[in-house]
Formats: sequence, structure tokens, C-alpha cells
Amino acid sequence: MGAWEPVVTQVWDTVVTPCDCCGQVVPKQLWVADVDGERRQFCSPECEALYRRYIVPRSGQVAP
Amino acid sequence: MPTDTPDADNSHDVLDPVQLTIVNNAFVNICREMGITMMRTAFSPIFNEGLDFSCVLFDKDGDMIGQAEFCPAQLAASIFIVRWTVEELGANSFEPGDVVLHNDPYRGGAHIPEHSVIRPVFHEGELWGFVANVGHLAEIGGKAVGSFAADATEIFQEGLRIPPIKLVSRDRNNMDLWRLIMANHRTPRNTWGDLNAQIGSLRVAERRLIELLERHGGDLVTRASQELMDYSERWMRAEIAEIPDGTYRFTDRMEDDGVVAEPVTLEVAVTVDGDELIVDWTGTDPQVRGPINATYGVTAGAVYNAIFHLTDSSIPKNSGAYRPIRIIAPPGTVVNVQYPGPSVGGNTETHPKLADMVVGALAPVLPDRVAAAEGASCCNFLFGGNHPKTGEYFANYHLEGCGWGAKSYDDGNDATIVANGNCRNTPVEIFETRFPLRTLEYSLIPDSGGAGRHRGGLGTRRVMRVEEGAEITASALFDRTKDEFRAWGLDGGGPGGYGAILVKRAGDDAFRSFPEAFGTVSASKFTNIVLRAGDEVLLDSPGGGGYGDPRERDRARLERDVAEGLVTPASARELYGWEQG
Repeated sequence: MGAWEPVVTQVWDTVVTPCDCCGQVVPKQLWVADVDGERRQFCSPECEALYRRYIVPRSGQVAP
Repeated sequence: MPTDTPDADNSHDVLDPVQLTIVNNAFVNICREMGITMMRTAFSPIFNEGLDFSCVLFDKDGDMIGQAEFCPAQLAASIFIVRWTVEELGANSFEPGDVVLHNDPYRGGAHIPEHSVIRPVFHEGELWGFVANVGHLAEIGGKAVGSFAADATEIFQEGLRIPPIKLVSRDRNNMDLWRLIMANHRTPRNTWGDLNAQIGSLRVAERRLIELLERHGGDLVTRASQELMDYSERWMRAEIAEIPDGTYRFTDRMEDDGVVAEPVTLEVAVTVDGDELIVDWTGTDPQVRGPINATYGVTAGAVYNAIFHLTDSSIPKNSGAYRPIRIIAPPGTVVNVQYPGPSVGGNTETHPKLADMVVGALAPVLPDRVAAAEGASCCNFLFGGNHPKTGEYFANYHLEGCGWGAKSYDDGNDATIVANGNCRNTPVEIFETRFPLRTLEYSLIPDSGGAGRHRGGLGTRRVMRVEEGAEITASALFDRTKDEFRAWGLDGGGPGGYGAILVKRAGDDAFRSFPEAFGTVSASKFTNIVLRAGDEVLLDSPGGGGYGDPRERDRARLERDVAEGLVTPASARELYGWEQG
């Protein structure tokens, strides 16, 4: 089960927080979840679900 | 069309189809009226002739609820631009009369010349939605005149980058910001006129939207916009569900990035999973040094536009239609540039190829809906200097039409701006009136359309001479200028002709490539070459691929092609098996 976390930046920062699934950079709120013991960041719960069902099987890992 | 149309449920919670149609058409017409305002009031040819802008409506959550027949690349990117803007600034930060300006490629944007203006719309004291106009400003500073630096290696060379900022607060110009922006552009008077034309279109849209809300009530229009998005989603899902499940792959290449003279590989895997599509760009080359990288918004836009080409054109174009399409673009690749990588050519050169690749991947299962590849280059030609007649500094961004790919049922269009641009060719008269360039030739290139049962569209040749007393600084960003990178055909169709940009210096007898004449790294991508009076530039745009075996082409159509000079007799005999002539 994931949770929302804020993206904290300073005024001089360019935000570089891409979603681990789709690759889209997330401006303010990351959906953070544990996948196979690793912290993963997503733009939404929908992308976490897609990551588990599409990317994980293709990368040779075992989806929980 | 899905069977569960909105009138399937007779409960009072669902609006009837007539109400939905009225609201949908009103949204579309508001966008069209924005466009007319923009076209008639902008200063630059890229807007009032080229139509390189798009007008869009959003609800308060940042979901697109209405658009019209503008530039598909900008329409798709606007989803990410507005959503980012609302999230970064916060919905509560908007006040009536505000206008936010935004062109940052790393904040959901397309490429840096694309300037979005966004205005909130309030009804009965509450934020109801947003109206937006995305337009390609012809000059925004940076290292190259016309702000298309084909050898840029970082964003800072491409122009002035602007995160979402309030250019207008409660209908009062923030003149400090205006002055800062115009101090960094080479043609600030045009910037003033063009941005104000964009802002003017927002005011028209705001007025019309409020009229609509008052005529039908805010609740009804809100419900209608939500139901229209759900309806579009159901319809799109129904269309996708008709495609056989499976994973379909396609690979294409670009000739170079403008900085390193090596090809760039693009790869896609399109997975149809029931009523959902997953379009995965894993395997595409890492981000390159030159400016052909695409932002996530550009790549997503290419995918959306390809899918719209393959599905029912009647689906209302709103955020609902995009929901069943999932896109994976690994960060740090050519299809998802990361800060501070350059990306100005990603929208014009890479985007059309990405869209064609999605179409090409699905060709085996949708043979009657797909088209062969188009020329897929905007043939960007940028120039500027002091006009000898007025003494004023001018700068222009010019994009050229190319040949479109043939379809299973017809030939490709000739001399048409790339499908995802939907812009208009600039007339010769505009060139000669506004700029010191005399057009010597503007013609279709024979045999540039790929041979096929249905022929690819033809590319164009334009030859221009720098007028007496003038000196221009020119840049170019083309692709598909080499034989092995030509637009691909389908089902036995041949490739389209390749493009070129050549120069003939005053006193020379023949045209030469820019590497030969000026020592540029790339023949198709270079920056800030000084051309003097009497120099001539030749722009050839690539043709589209053909569809089907050329020997099966209808003989009457082939003979008409030969008679009109579109296909030479030699090609007719060699490629089409023509036995006359």
C-alpha cells in the first residue's frame, strides 16, 4: 500500500522526479510504494498498478 | 460508437444526448472563436498564416473538456501543461482576470517556443475551469535567430525558459515581467502583439463560457462536461477492444541529432490488453546531445494523435478519450528528455516519427486504417536580420509542408505540414512582403511520393534568394535528408523521396550542401549561417511512403500522374510497370 509524499524543492530547483513507471515528472505529490523491498515513486496509484502488472514481469522480477 | 450511449440510462442523474451535444458543440465553438480571434489579431505570420497555435478548455481539475481543429501536438501537450500549472501554483492561487504564462519543457511543456497562456474562469464566485492558448512564438531569444538552435546542447541555448508565472494579475499587466521577457527576445514588438493576441483569445473564451454557464446553469454544464469525458472514454475503450490483443513492435531511425553525426534509434512496443493500450518506448536510444529529444508531453501527444488517426474521428476529444491509453517513456531517453537537455526539434522532427511508429506497429492488425510514413519533418528554416527597406529587425520561423503517407484506400496528401502540426503553408506573398527573400521556385518534386497502389504524397521544392541590400542569419533543422532514412512504405509500397537544404552562393554555378559550403557538422541541422545578397537557398521537403504494390496502381490514375508531372515516365515504367510512353 502506497502513500502520497510531497516533492520538496527550493526556488532554485528544477523538479526532476520522474515516475518509475511512465517516466512523467511529478510536480508536487509523489505516490510512494514498496515494490519487492525497493522504494518506488509514481505519479499515481494507477501507475503503481501498471508497474506491478506490466514492468515488473518484463524486468525478470516477481510481482508480489 | 459504444452501445451504452448516454441515453441508455433514463434516470434523472444522466443528461440526455441533446443536452450533451449542445454543450459539446458549444465547447468546440468557443475554441474555434478563440482561434479566429488569434488569427486576426496576432502580429506574426506563424500565427495569422501558419496557424501554429491551439485553443483549449479545461475544467477546474485540469481535465480537458473541449478543443477544436488546431495543432494536435499542442492539443495533447496542453493536457500536461495545464495540469502541471494548476498543481504547481495551486488552484487556490488563481483569481479572476489572471493570466499565467508558461513555456518550460520540463514542466509538462512541449518545446520551448511553445508559449501557453492560461486564464481561470469563475462563475458565481467559484473557480469553474480554465481557458488556454498554446502558441509557437517565432522568436524567443537563445543562441539562434528564430530560436531553433539545431546544434544546441542544453536548454539555455534554446531561448528564454519561463516557469508558470502570472503575466497578468486581476486584468493588470505585470509590466516587470513583460519587460524582462521582451528584453530577451530579438523581435519584442512581435512578442508583445502575439502574446496579447493569445491573451485576447482567452478573454473571448471566458466571456463565451460564462454566457454558456448562465444560459444552462453551472450544474448542468459541469455534469455535461463530466459525462462527455466518461462517454469519450467508453467509446475509446470500445474502439481499442476491437483490436486483437497482443504486443506489436516497430523501429525507426533519425539521421542525426545536429551535434553528433550518428543515427538515432527509436523503438516502441504497443500492447493491446482488452480495452486498454500500453505504448512502451523502452529500448529507444538514450537522450542525445542535440535538440531532437522529445519531452514526455511531446511523446504522449504523438501517441494520442496516432491513436486518434486509427479510431473513430467522431469521438469527442477530451480527457476521457485519453484515459485508456498508457504511455511509458523512460526518463533520460530521446522520448523523455531530462533537464537540462535540449528539445526544440523533438516536437517537429521526432514527434511525427513517433506517431508514425505507433501507426506502423498496428499496421498488421489494422491494415485498412493505417497510412505509410509521412515526410515527418517540419523542415524548420529560421532566419532574421535587418530589413533593408525598413531598417527594422525581423525574424521568422518557417515550416514546410511535406508528403503524407498513402493509405489503403487513397494517395497521400501533397505538400502538407506534418499530420501532427496541422498548420498551414506560408504563402509566397507573405515571404516577399515581410522579409527580404525573393521566391524563385515553389513546386512539387516529381517522383518524391513513394510508389504504390496508392502513391505517397509529394514533397515540395522552394528556392529563395536573398534580396539586394539584405543579409540574413539562417538556421535549419531538417530530418529525412538521406536515402536510408526515407519515409517507409507499407504492404509493398515504396519509400518517399528524401529532403534537402542546399545553398548557392552569389556567383556560384550550382547548389552545394551546407557542410561543403560552410563546414557544418550536419547537412540538415545547423545554426546561424550568414547569407548575403544574391545567395540562394533550396529547401526540398521529403515525400510520403507508398501503400501496396505499385504495379497494381490504377492505370488511369498513373497516366494522370504522368500527365501532370507528378511521376516521371521513367519511374512509371521502372516502378509501376507502365508500358506506354
